[in-house]
Amino acid sequence: MTPTVLVLAEASGGLLTGPTKEAIGVARTLAGPDGSLAAVTMGGPSALEALAPFGPKEVWVADVPPEAATSGAVAALAAHAADESRAAIVLLGGTTFGRDVTGRLAVRWGAAAATGATEVAIAGPEEVHVRRPVFGGRATEMRRLVGPRTVIALRPHAFAEAAASAGTPTVHVLDRSVIPATEGAARRRSLDPAEPGSGPSLSDATIVVSGGRGMRAAENFHLIEELAQSLGAAVGASRAVTDAGWRPTSFQIGQTGRAVSPQLYIAVGISGAIQHVVGMVSSRTIVAINTDASAPIFKVADYGLVGDALTILPALTREVRKVRGLPAN
Amino acid sequence: MEIVVLIKPIPEAESRLRATPDGRGLEPEGVKFVLAGYDESAVEQALLLKESLPGSRVHAVSFGPARCEETLRAAIALGADRATWVEGPPEGSDDPVLAARALAAALQTVPHDLVLGGKQAGDDEEGIVPGAVAELLGIPSFGYVTDLRSSGPSGLTFLRPTEAGVERWEAPLPCVVGLQQAWNDPRSAKLPNILKSRKAPILKVDWPTTSKALALEAKPRSIGEKFELPAPRTGAKMIEFKTPEEAAEKLVRLLREEAKVFP
Ligand SMILES: Cc1cc2nc3c(=O)[nH]c(=O)nc-3n(C[C@H](O)[C@H](O)[C@H](O)COP(=O)(O)OP(=O)(O)OC[C@H]3O[C@@H](n4cnc5c(N)ncnc54)[C@H](O)[C@@H]3O)c2cc1C
Ligand SMILES: Nc1ncnc2c1ncn2[C@@H]1O[C@H](COP(=O)(O)O)[C@@H](O)[C@H]1O
Repeated sequence: MTPTVLVLAEASGGLLTGPTKEAIGVARTLAGPDGSLAAVTMGGPSALEALAPFGPKEVWVADVPPEAATSGAVAALAAHAADESRAAIVLLGGTTFGRDVTGRLAVRWGAAAATGATEVAIAGPEEVHVRRPVFGGRATEMRRLVGPRTVIALRPHAFAEAAASAGTPTVHVLDRSVIPATEGAARRRSLDPAEPGSGPSLSDATIVVSGGRGMRAAENFHLIEELAQSLGAAVGASRAVTDAGWRPTSFQIGQTGRAVSPQLYIAVGISGAIQHVVGMVSSRTIVAINTDASAPIFKVADYGLVGDALTILPALTREVRKVRGLPAN
Repeated sequence: MEIVVLIKPIPEAESRLRATPDGRGLEPEGVKFVLAGYDESAVEQALLLKESLPGSRVHAVSFGPARCEETLRAAIALGADRATWVEGPPEGSDDPVLAARALAAALQTVPHDLVLGGKQAGDDEEGIVPGAVAELLGIPSFGYVTDLRSSGPSGLTFLRPTEAGVERWEAPLPCVVGLQQAWNDPRSAKLPNILKSRKAPILKVDWPTTSKALALEAKPRSIGEKFELPAPRTGAKMIEFKTPEEAAEKLVRLLREEAKVFP
């Protein structure tokens, strides 16, 4: 079997995004030595340039401005590229963009689909198996995707990023006339960029440091940020913190906030209410710091420290900086 | 505005999850299925829009086994005007694309300016159904939406948090929205309305009708094969310390040497 695996590639600032490099890594494995890697991107010439060193044999490219890149427009173009490349599998990175396109692309291209995959394996001529966390990481499932076409969005950080190799792909320009007319009226009016220099975003971070009401006051929250900075981590918060206005709701982790599954999650002054836990329990390693030894967070944590966050955090930040060889601060 | 809200019954947050005897899926026996998570927010948002736009109606639609009826009654008790149960196949299916096909077929005869769903279902977390429904209906769709507002009779504005930042969009009607957050926390139903909802009529589209409409597409192509629960977390390894410095040193050592998650 020589499948062609097509990756929907995203680039930003002239570089491929991490989730796209993860998808390319998976695509190379699935295609194997006999199959081939192809890519489709909406990012025009600059995305093409970012993509070429990752070795796709063929690239389909459209120049769709982000203001008009609706999921319907992207799905139509990607389905067209999937047809032309005779792909059996289309992979998408686990970004908002990638996941938003998956359902539409599955219908448009007539494929079986799944999102959030942490493992992908070809199980037969018309069967792909995916493993994926469900129920907020409380369980995992293995699914059979059957039929000649499959669309899969990966879970961010579940796979290693592909390294650049080399190559000069054959380039095809996608015809924008495949975009349905109904997509024309939607417009992105503005983008309020994620705060620059504030470290990785929650969904990209491999480490998250999260603070709760146990931080006692907004003025103490900088201790969370300093630890996060020393670790190269993103900052999260419990709902008690966002409700109190110590930090905006975009920091909230849990049932009504974001779900994260980093390699390391450090919960500081967070009691471990179920609505918080469902948003972080699938993290690989969980550390809890809390004055109350009977706080439920210790039931889901791997390492527990019973003590005052306000004294432990500065010491921890100093130790991390020391071990990582960063200047004391 | 004619608002359709797509809801899927999911296990209560506190439910104990276990696998069926064949290990392929979630054992439904003993689990209470409810309106919850993003779908509950979608219902809340539908009601808020209805309240702000006189003359609007909310129509709740659910695809699946008989337990859908109870979830639809919960939506009626909260203020939905009508409800449709789109019956699933007798052998069951958890293929989100099949769910989308069945829902879209039923929506052909249901007026809809806005179709609201959750950004993902609280059980399977696919996030596939809203976009797939939109593609089948031939209208635009937007996932991960917050701060959804009506901008006159034919449009919407909303925000969408992405990796790059927060996007602000303007979108035409009709369209499909996968909602991340409503303006408010979901309301609770009042007792008299709960009682009334028990007798409310629920329209049913039976599986033979749907399966005929879908023809070859009536077969699931995403099939649960194994449902696994992690070994329960055994509780934290507690780190003993006398000073904050000792706590820090011990934790960093464990993260480097044992957990191997230190950057
Ligand atoms: C419908 C619904 C949705 C919800 N969604 C979310 C959600 O998405 N995310 C979320 O987080 N919550 C959510 N909640 C709220 C949730 O139930 C909890 O109320 C919330 O998580 C509590 O936040 P907390 O742990 O910071 O505060 P608390 O529960 O007040 O816990 C504070 C903890 O800090 C400890 N502490 C105090 N002082 C110190 C100190 N000096 N050092 C160390 N520890 C200290 C205390 O022992 C305590 O355990 C939701 C609730 C509902 C009803
Ligand atoms: N069986 C279903 N019946 C009605 N709506 C559904 C169903 N499955 C999914 N949805 C809707 O689509 C959203 C996303 O579901 P999913 O794609 O399964 O993650 C849910 O939050 C619901 O709003």
